[in-house]
Order: sequence, then structure tokens, then C-alpha cells
Amino acid sequence: MLEEARSRWHPIAAAHDLQFRHVFHGQLLGREFAVWRADDGYVNIWENRCLHRGVRLSIGINDGRELKCQYHGWRYSNRTAGCTYIPAHPADAPARTITNRTFPAVERYGLVWSSEEPRGELPDVIGLAEGKLLALRGIPVNAPADKVVERLKAYRFQPNGAIDGEGAEILIDAAQDFAVALRSRDGDAQTHGVFFVQPVDSNRSVIRGVLDQDAEGAARIDILRHHNERLSKLRDQVEREAANVPSPAPIEPVYERVSAELAEMPGMTTHGRKAALRVTVARKWQTADGIAGFELRPIKGILPTFQPGAHIDVHMPNGEIRQYSITNGPGETDSFVIGVKLERDSKGGSKCMHETVREGDVLAISEPRNNFPLRRDSTKTLFVAGGIGITPLLAMAQALKNQDLTHELHYFAQGEEHLAFADRLKYLGDALKPHLGLSPDQTGAELRQIVADYRNGMHLYICGPGPMLEAARKIATEQGWPDTAVHFEYFKNTNKIDDSSSFEVALARSCVTLQVPAGKTIMQVMRESGIDVPSSCEQGACGTCVATVIEGEPDHQDVYLNDAERKAGTKIMTCVSRAKSARLVLDI
Amino acid sequence: MITLYDYELSGNCYKLRLLMSFLRIDYKTVPVDFYPGREHKSEWFLKLNPLGQLPVLDDDGLVLRDAQAILVYLASKYDPSGTWYPRDNPALLGEISQWLAFADGITSTASAARLHDALFYDFDIDVARAGAHRLFRILDEHLWFGEQQGRSWICSAGHPTIADIACFPYIILSEEGGIPRQDYPAIRRWCDRVKRIKGFTVMSGVFPAGPGKVAA
Amino acid sequence: MTKCLDPVILNLWHPIGAIAEAVPGAVQDTVLLEERLSFALNADGEPVVWRSHPDVQGPARVPAADRLPARSTYGYVWTSLGSPPAELFLIPEYEEPDRRKLNAATFGVNVSAPRAIENFLDMGHFPYVHTDILGVEPHTEVKEYDVEISVDRDEILATRCRFFQPMASTASDGGADVDYVYRVPHPYCSVLYKSSPVDEARRDVIAVFLQPVDQEHVRAHMLLCVLDEDNEDKVIKRFQQTIFGQDKPILENQVPKRLPLDPRAETPIRADKSAIAYRRWLSQKGITYGVIPVAA
Repeated sequence: MLEEARSRWHPIAAAHDLQFRHVFHGQLLGREFAVWRADDGYVNIWENRCLHRGVRLSIGINDGRELKCQYHGWRYSNRTAGCTYIPAHPADAPARTITNRTFPAVERYGLVWSSEEPRGELPDVIGLAEGKLLALRGIPVNAPADKVVERLKAYRFQPNGAIDGEGAEILIDAAQDFAVALRSRDGDAQTHGVFFVQPVDSNRSVIRGVLDQDAEGAARIDILRHHNERLSKLRDQVEREAANVPSPAPIEPVYERVSAELAEMPGMTTHGRKAALRVTVARKWQTADGIAGFELRPIKGILPTFQPGAHIDVHMPNGEIRQYSITNGPGETDSFVIGVKLERDSKGGSKCMHETVREGDVLAISEPRNNFPLRRDSTKTLFVAGGIGITPLLAMAQALKNQDLTHELHYFAQGEEHLAFADRLKYLGDALKPHLGLSPDQTGAELRQIVADYRNGMHLYICGPGPMLEAARKIATEQGWPDTAVHFEYFKNTNKIDDSSSFEVALARSCVTLQVPAGKTIMQVMRESGIDVPSSCEQGACGTCVATVIEGEPDHQDVYLNDAERKAGTKIMTCVSRAKSARLVLDI
Repeated sequence: MITLYDYELSGNCYKLRLLMSFLRIDYKTVPVDFYPGREHKSEWFLKLNPLGQLPVLDDDGLVLRDAQAILVYLASKYDPSGTWYPRDNPALLGEISQWLAFADGITSTASAARLHDALFYDFDIDVARAGAHRLFRILDEHLWFGEQQGRSWICSAGHPTIADIACFPYIILSEEGGIPRQDYPAIRRWCDRVKRIKGFTVMSGVFPAGPGKVAA
Repeated sequence: MTKCLDPVILNLWHPIGAIAEAVPGAVQDTVLLEERLSFALNADGEPVVWRSHPDVQGPARVPAADRLPARSTYGYVWTSLGSPPAELFLIPEYEEPDRRKLNAATFGVNVSAPRAIENFLDMGHFPYVHTDILGVEPHTEVKEYDVEISVDRDEILATRCRFFQPMASTASDGGADVDYVYRVPHPYCSVLYKSSPVDEARRDVIAVFLQPVDQEHVRAHMLLCVLDEDNEDKVIKRFQQTIFGQDKPILENQVPKRLPLDPRAETPIRADKSAIAYRRWLSQKGITYGVIPVAA
């Protein structure tokens, strides 16, 4: 019986229950739900339990884009239910696999439907398909669902058109395990009502009635009151009966275990340069001079969780692979929006995106990766964007804006017409500070002012063309910013890579020693020996392939690590960097 | 200067802190060690309130007891907008008084259950919880029909009144007495609305609401 | 509900009431591990504890067979339903004469004792649950700290814990990192040491002693042992009650109420090192009461 019930669809709330920025506390067959509607209209039905310490998410906060747990402020994204931020570790990007259990949600007949393990789609309910419907007030009953259904078969009500009358004739159109369909007739007036019984727990139910006709104004209220009164009376009767027999034990929900990898301290993800997702280009438009915007929608299912600063690899029709930052704000999870600048010296990446890719095309993309995580424990965050470098910083600024955290976005561009994603910029309000048409010297002077007042607790994020980025980093250092407070992302590594050295690499955990000859990268040699290494840009810019150095002196050729990290010599980008010593020992 | 004889964990004291926060009234508090010290039964306190109950408010020598009575007084005297207790609207005053009495019912059931569970008062817990559920059913129905008719608050005004303040604390704290609010979705939504009134303040055991409006 | 069958828990000392609130001769009734108990102070001020019985109305006439072990330590009456060890864990600071020692309160909470201990060890929730008091956004980071299970003392020790606290001391108005040390010397008791705002060299001591009423209900006794010459008792108590009252709705909304010991039941992060150590320690001890043991 219980198994059968679990595979069916049940109403768990009225559509009306999911009001703006509210979290509804639902339950079905003993399992509790946190149910919330995001500002984009999406209905989320989640296990009512934060994955961290089991606190009910129904006491959490719906900020319109994400649900925030009340205990430690963990944020879970609209639609994906993936954790996007763990405030206790502001410098880390949470493992993508921290994802709450979700249940399907369908809004129909004025109700919200779900199921634990649905067999098939939500079936149509005969008699409710057409016209305007009226959902009645849900009536919770402290009694088992079957007892309530039994009583409902004898439920008597007046049709909408003769609500003040008496003695309507009632026909049972249908009766099932969890629903009774009744027809009330009084003279010419006739109303068809379907009364669903939501099995909340073994001894608790909710009657959710839907009538096949709506009404307006006072008549509508009269109808709602008519049913509320009669169903409440029915409830009282069922509860009296149920109180006379011992109540069944509550259903113990079984909670899914978290993945084994999460049970330990979150580690590094180990997938390689894979394009696991297929998306369609839902929209392509010119968002600024020389910059095309692309909105990428999943072909089926939903997109994975992303964090501000994350990028995806886009595999192009011409075989090239390029990295693009996701510009989305928090909770905006129905599509990924990226911006692509047409590079004059394009080797085929941006050119292909601009000229070949069209709306409706299918592209392969990787899962989002975040090597540019955003701290949110900063007393004030400064973003400095140059040109297309706006993209990751735009996602970050929207996240801080949503949480009402102090920030400024300084956007350097040639002119007004070069400012991309105007709608997103507008959302940022006064935090946006455009700096237009400046020469390199003027840019330097402006940057000096922007970073002038460093105070402990502030953080600076820079993304833009190489020379500007170098200048900004240098100026920040001069103004007293420590390396740990300055975060940056290069589009590409313009360093000339010197791959003339040869050396030995020992992989401590894999118990393998490899020879890296001139002309080959550490990554290539590892892959040839069958060792899977995650990677993305493969030119020392994105940070995906980082490895820990246990012994030996790295020859850094990347642009990902900052000076302090380089000096420490404990990390290496295996796609471009090499060894100064004869031997390197890596923690792989 | 207003002085509130106060106990942090008292929902009845919280009613006054709430209203004074909404009205931006300055006041000072005198902490009363209600638990475990039972200072509200001490000699000095009984002189202030022979009933030995919190809260007590002293406004320049005018000493008042009873949370609901003090709400009426403060709103009448200190609310320039005249919305929390609209003295010139007899019908609304009638409604408010009716719900103030209802709030007393919540105190004698939901608050009693909380005192039983948290502070080990010798009350009949089953009776207290059943009584609270009976009242919550009535209020949920009332608020649900209010929503259907475009009304957000307990009384029929377009703004909150002291009736909302009087009912709020022991409803929002009801789980501490083992009274879940899951079956009262309209009450849960109304709690969100109360938390979003400008000037809302929390007490220990009450969380603030998230942002209610779309950030511009 | 079946009564406690966990031998480790049965043989422990458990707190059942504050000495300061006991009137000599007056009998108080309570529940420990689902057993109804009564206790009172006898004429010498010594605690007497017995299994409740309608015929026994006072401490003087308790039949020897009904008597339970009793001791008065750290301001509380402790008893045991089994054979307790000779000594209770040590809090040496309790003996320092210049400290104020208070029972801040005893509160009933609908949660298991181990969930409450874990909350007591947790710093990450300060900005969210104790907003503007013990923490404030955006200062949310839990910095690296050290945890060890001390073998000779059989207790968990978390050291080098720091967390940003607004108005950390009366001396400065800005916030600052505050140092904490946490001990778990008993499966249901924890002791916290925190930088004293009045004496840089010393620490305030705050302890929580949980009386397990049953697997999912506790009475939390809160001991304060602090350096404070200025504030009235009730002001110090009010602060601690405010903090505890803020944790209460979190604790009562944790599901399941018993602490799951399966490492895959919940998602730990580095900040939870002490909680991970605590869960392992409970598992190693074979504790089954108030927890959901790892499935065999």
C-alpha cells in the first residue's frame, strides 16, 4: 500500500500557498518538504533537511533566487538545489555534488503536485481539464487518508449556482484510494468537485478540493466558506472516529546517504576535459560592440549548479575548445548566459562562435568549474573589469547585490557601446562604476584611486586583458594590498612557454615515476600513462589542473598562481609548468 | 522615560519590545530574573505588580501591567499615525479587543505548553497543546479567508494593528511547546508578513525574515 | 519507549538539578534516562537521590535499596543509574576563588543530548544564530583549528579556535577575533573556555551539562564560571539565556533528533572537525543512546 502510494502523484500544497519569498512546510507519506517558489516562478520541492546538519529548510530564507539555511547560512540554488556557498569557508568553492534531494513539482488544477518515486507523468483528472477552476481551502485532518476518503464519499455540498439552497443531489462520479469525484445538482445548477486526499503521514491527511467552476467576488467567498464549513464538519467527525482507535505509528522517512566523497572532507574533483552536457543556443544577440551574448539551455533535464566566478568549456563545431565565464546571477539556473568577444587574431574560437553558431544549434559544454571563487566575508569587495573581463565579475557582483553585501564594480571599456549585458548592469544600481575611453595612463591613474584605501578585510577581484591586469595587480601591491586579498583571472596565458627542460615526476599517491621529455607537458605524460587529470584551458590560465607539490622546485609558467603561491612552491599547473629541479614529487 | 521590566525569553515582554521598535520609542529595561530566580514573585516586584507577572511598564510614574493593556496604552499615546490602535474607529477597536482576548487564549495554551517543556511548569501539557491547536485552526481559517479577500492582517484594516502584535509571539514560539505550525499555512505566511513590517525586531528564538521586496 | 540499555550511558554521572535552586528538605522530581527520580538536600546539605516512589516523601526516609549514587559537584546534583566512576571530569578553574559561579538556567529542549553538544562545539553558526552577539556577517570564516582526542584523559580537545566577534571587549568598540577552547570530557557534557573581556591572561569558563530525559529530550544545565566584578548575576544569566534561547529553535528543528553517527548521514566540512571527532569518539565508545549508530 505504502509502496503503491509512493509511486503516485499527490497534491502537497495549493498554488496559493507558495507566496512571494515564502517557504511552505509540506509533507507526504511521512517525508517532509521545504517548498518554495523562486522569483522566476519555478517551484522547488526539496527534502526538508539541510545536508550539513539536518536543520529543516522550511525555517530557512527564500531570497527569491536561493534558499538559505538558518543554521550556517549555506545557500542552495533555485532549480538545481546545489549548494553555492558555504560561509564558514569563504575562500573555497563548495563541491558541486553537495546537492539537496529534490522531488518533481507540477502545478495543475490550482494545486502543487509531487511524488516520491513517480511512475509516469501526472495523469489528467477527468472533469477538471477545462474552464476555470476553484481550489478550496485545504483542510488538514488528523486521521489516515483511507478513513477520510471513506467519509468523503458521503460528502454533501451545494452546486456553485445554488449555494444557498439545500437538498442538492450528489452523485459519486469516481472514487479512488486518494480521491473522490462528486457531482452536485440542484435544479439547473451543477458543480463537479474532485476531493483529493493528501496522505501526509500514517495518521494525518489534507483534503484538497477543486471545483470545476470558479466564481467572482462575494459569490466566490460564499462558495469557499460553504465548503470550508462542511469539510471542517466532516473533519471533526473523522477525527472523532480516528481518536477511538489507536493511531498508527508515524512513517519513518528514509534519508538518502550523502555520497562517499562528501562524507570525507571535500576534495578535488577529478574529471578531465569532458563535455558532459548538451545545450541549445536559445538566444544569440549582440550585447555590446563586438560582443555576442549566448543563452544556453539544457536539451533535457536541468543544468548543474554553478557558483559566481565559474566557467564552462564550450566545444565548438570546428573542434576548438574555449572557456567562458557564466554571467548569471544566483538562482538563475534555467540557462547559462555567456559573452563572447570577437578577437581580431582569433584562431577560430571566437570567430566560430560569432559567425558559425546560430540560435537553435546544439553545443557540447563541460560542467561548470570554479577556479575563481568569490569570498563573501569581505567588508568591502572591489571588482575591476576590463572589457570582456566583465563576465565572471558580473556574476560575482550580482551575488553580492542579492545578499546586500558592500561592493563596487569598476568596468573599464572603450565606450558606452562596449558595455555588455546592460540589463544585468542595471540590476547592480549604484555599485556599477563605468570608466570609459581611458588611455593606459589614465586607466592607471584611475586604478590608483580605486584601490587607494586598503583596509583589512577588503578583497579585490580583477579580470581583463593581460596588460591591464598586470597594471592593476602592481598598483594594488603598491597601495598595500596583500596577495591574499587580490584575486584575478587571466583570459589566456600570453607567456611564451619554454618546454625545453626534461625531468622526472614522481606521483606519490599513484606510486608511479614518469619521465617528462622536452616538448611534452607533465599533463600529457600523465595522461599517456592512463592517469586522469582534470583540465580546462590547458594553457595555464584557469587553474583546473592544479596539483600539490610535495618535493622539488617548480618552474612556473602559468598566470593562475599569485606571487606568494609561486614563491611557496607548493602548487603547480601541470598543463604548462615544469621543474627546475631534476625531480618533482606531486600529490597525485 | 519609559522603563520596561523585562525578561528576554518572555513572549509577553516581547510584545512590548516589538511595538516600541515599530514606533521607534526609546526605553530602558530592567531585567527581571523570571527564571530560574523567580524574581517576579519577589517582594520588590510584587509591589509593582501584585499579580507577580511580567511585563510591567513604568512611563514617568504611570505603572501598568498586562501586555495587552500596555499595548493599548503605548499605541494610543505614542503612535502618531494612529494605525496600531485607531481610536476613532469603533468597529476596528471592537475587532482589536476581540483578538486581544484571543491572544490571552494563546498565552494560556501555547505559552503554557512552552513553559511546561522548557521551564518544567506543572501544566497539563496535552490540554495546553490541544487548546493551542484549537485556536490555531480558528486563526488559520480566519487568515486564509483574509488572504482570499485581499486582507493581510488579523483585523480588517489595511495595516497591522496591536492585535497582530499580541498574537505573534506565542505563535512564533509555539514549537518550543511541541506545537508545530505545519498544518497552519496561512498562519505561517502571516508570520512572514509580521516579520517584514518595518522596524521588526527579533527575540531569542525568533528568526528574522528574508528580503521581502525585489532588490531594485 | 524502552528504557536506556546503553551500559556506557547508564554508568555515567548525570546532572539532575542546580544546588543553588534546591531548598533544603524540599523534594524535587525529575526524569533521567526515562526513569522518574526524586532528589533533595538532607539536613547536612548533602544531596540524596532515589527512584521516585509515592511512599517516600523526603530524603530522611529513603530505603537504602532505592538510593542512587549522589554527589554535588560544580553546583549541581549528579547521580547515576549504574556504577559511576569515582571521579567526575575536572574543571580546575571552578576552584579559583575570584570567579563568579552561577547556574545560568536549566532549560528543557526537545532534542537528543549529542545534537546539543555538537551545537555547543560549533562556531560557524555564530553570525547566523547569534547575530550581532557572537558573530556578524560578513565575518563568517571558521579558521583552521586543532582537534585531538586525548587518550589519557579520554576527552576531546579543540584548541586554537578563533572567531570574529562584534564588540569583543569593553576596551574596544570594533570587533575582533576571540579565542575559544572546547573540551568534551563526558559524552553529554562540554566545557568552553573563552577569552575574558576583563583579563587578557585568563579565560571565562562556560559549561553545558545535559541531563538526558530520554533519547530525544534533554534538560540543559548551564554553568557559568566567569571573571566579572561589575554585573549583577541576573545580567550575566540573561546574556547566557539569550544565547541559549537562540540555539533552541535550531536544535528543535534538526531531523533526525538523534545524532546520526554514520559519516554519510550528513555533510561535514573542515569547520566541523570537532564534531567529526565527537561523532567518532561516540562510535568508538559504542554509545547507542541518543544517537543513530552506524549500521553494522
